[in-house]
Amino acid sequence: MLDGQLVRLRAIEPGDRERAHAWLDDPEVTYYLTMRYPLASADPMWLADAQPASFANGVYLAVETKDGTHIGAINLHELNPEDRKAGLGIIIGDKACWSNGYGLDAIATLLRFAFHEMNLHRVWLSVLAGHEAAIRCYEKCGFRHESRRRQQVFKHGRYWDVLIMSILRDEFDAPHVAPSPERGT
Amino acid sequence: MLEGKLVRLRAQEMGDLERDHAWINDREVTRYLAARYPISLVDEERWLSGRPPSSGSNGLRLAIDTKDGRHIGNIDLLPGNPDDRCVALGVMVGDKEYWSRGYGTDAMITLLRFGFSQMNLNRIWLHVFEHNERAIACYKKCGFQVEGRLRHHRYQEGRYSDVIEMGVLRDEFAASHGLAAPKEGGP
Repeated sequence: MLDGQLVRLRAIEPGDRERAHAWLDDPEVTYYLTMRYPLASADPMWLADAQPASFANGVYLAVETKDGTHIGAINLHELNPEDRKAGLGIIIGDKACWSNGYGLDAIATLLRFAFHEMNLHRVWLSVLAGHEAAIRCYEKCGFRHESRRRQQVFKHGRYWDVLIMSILRDEFDAPHVAPSPERGT
Repeated sequence: MLEGKLVRLRAQEMGDLERDHAWINDREVTRYLAARYPISLVDEERWLSGRPPSSGSNGLRLAIDTKDGRHIGNIDLLPGNPDDRCVALGVMVGDKEYWSRGYGTDAMITLLRFGFSQMNLNRIWLHVFEHNERAIACYKKCGFQVEGRLRHHRYQEGRYSDVIEMGVLRDEFAASHGLAAPKEGGP
């Protein structure tokens, strides 16, 4: 269990599956995510069935509020022990909890674990340009813009750029997280 | 068989195995590639014989031959997502005698033209280490633009290095190099 200010991150349990499936099958939730096809309830994405968290398996956790409501999922994937880096993914599926700081707190909590417990050096993520709320949240967490993959993804009738953002261990530890100079649009 | 100006690209054969194995274990060749650990002949053979046939979904691996039939390297399109019509590219000229003589550039342009005009791709992209200036210059000649810099994305030789991301779109390549195959014996 990882304790944040607003949320706790805990291992995923079989009972989470039905909620997670409902979120991932909701077009409003997945509008800016790269998943495309309707998802069977057995698909493992975001659930990482019964794999204990590790460098090899990745770290897949449930996000719950302090009163125990399961509202989303967060992960570290593509962990690489030589480069000491990982990709981060997050979904807040419970729409009532959007824009309330839960995602930000979940990310800050997982970053602390990644840098201070797993000894990672770099955490990166990708986000569809246009997903403004998410980009602002990542900037607040200290992620910096580093790449714009032009027309990388086709969704909703057109090509979208994909932004890559990252944070390094030293930046996470700095007392003040400077806002990223470049804004994605 | 894809015809370039200096090279031909053909499907890989088992007869390429020993050359591939020597190149992928030559630190001078792999210095800027993702390969890190020594690779056995058996593993290389398993990889070569286990490859699915070339396609947009499976990706493709072609041998680079000079026009007189000498195998000098390999070039790949990685497995991609057909919905996005976007794939990543990797290239290696293993025969050092052919470095810096335009063979890699010609192989790239030949494969890019195939990707856009035959596979109907919209975007091709790649990663290159920040210190690999020779490769970056080659990719720019082929029409790639720098799209970003992944900070400390790769650890090797005792330190973290940045990785440059580059991409080229179909429209850009059509404008700079053309989608029609160059005429035999043409300029």
